[in-house]
Amino acid sequence: MRKFDSAQSEIRNPTSEIHMALSGWESVFFWVFSIAAIFAGLLTVMARNTVHSALFLISSLVSIAALFILLGAEFIAGVQILVYVGGVMVLFLFVIMLVNVGLEERGDVPIFNRTPQVAAALIFSLLLVLGLLFALNVAVDGLNEKNHSQKEEAVNTPSRDANLPTAATGTARISQSTEAVGAALYRYGSLPFEVASILLLVAIIGSVMLARTIKQEAAADDLAPEVLLDQLKREPELAKFIDESEAVDEVNV
Amino acid sequence: MFSNVAPILGLLQEASQASTALTKVQHPDLSKFLVIAALLFIIGIAGVLTRRNIIVIFMSIELILNAANLNFIAFARYLQEIGNPNAIAGQIFTVFIIVVAAAEAAIGLGIVIALYRNKETILLDQIDLLKW
Repeated sequence: MRKFDSAQSEIRNPTSEIHMALSGWESVFFWVFSIAAIFAGLLTVMARNTVHSALFLISSLVSIAALFILLGAEFIAGVQILVYVGGVMVLFLFVIMLVNVGLEERGDVPIFNRTPQVAAALIFSLLLVLGLLFALNVAVDGLNEKNHSQKEEAVNTPSRDANLPTAATGTARISQSTEAVGAALYRYGSLPFEVASILLLVAIIGSVMLARTIKQEAAADDLAPEVLLDQLKREPELAKFIDESEAVDEVNV
Repeated sequence: MFSNVAPILGLLQEASQASTALTKVQHPDLSKFLVIAALLFIIGIAGVLTRRNIIVIFMSIELILNAANLNFIAFARYLQEIGNPNAIAGQIFTVFIIVVAAAEAAIGLGIVIALYRNKETILLDQIDLLKW
């Protein structure tokens, strides 16, 4: 009972205090970046050249980071740019460089699956879009009702950043979102944080082990002897590893 | 007898009040972000289902994960606006999703390299090692 009381007092009369409505330039930025994100996402899926796909995905991710900033999550936007654009997408570009994507690029092979599979996939996506439209249709009355009152309120209320302290340069205001994320991460999320570090360690070791060449595997003595003999036909250089292991066996015998 | 029932009735009443208060706050701009996220999700699903190139399929998966991130951040902002003290949890979740996405991309691209070394292709319909 008491717990529920406190939960309700935290909600504290929601209708009068909402300032989430975007106003002025915020609205402009919202439309620019959301349309950019969606078109870049579409082009990611439809581009023939894989490098173009990667570049379109980068612009989609940057636009989503801008949407994060509009939502007041500056730290997440920074992490998005650093980790996704700076790390993951560079990894993607390196892998595109290592594998041969020329056939698709020159148009020698189709980039999509066979027609029945594509048709089934598109029907499934269309069903998802219809579900979205249905949900919007159900909600649209309530949305229109809220729209007018909250738009006026958002225009008339000062920005929520107005009462934040000014940054050292005086040109910007210090957002407290990063501080809050850090505090919550170490206060409530410290165990998942440690688990995430173990996950990253496993991913590092796993990708290093996966990407070894057959020669590196043989050098680390990780190949079964029959596999080694099998691969010998393709790569004669492997012979020295066979000799060494046999020599070792003879010494042991 | 009524002394036992009264607290439960009060609880129910408060619950119904709180739920009506929550349903009243159907915020237009929250729903805009949700629609954008849903469209990105659908585009990602279509990409995973239609493309043949494994690398582009991985990129579509990144798109799907980002749609989920956008949902998390939008709801975090919404909860923050209605004064929920735990609203920051949405941002924490997003950090972990980004970590998992990075690990997934590293492992997946390692598998792509190993596959390409053995099969000389990255087209998904030509990779049938597990088919008999």
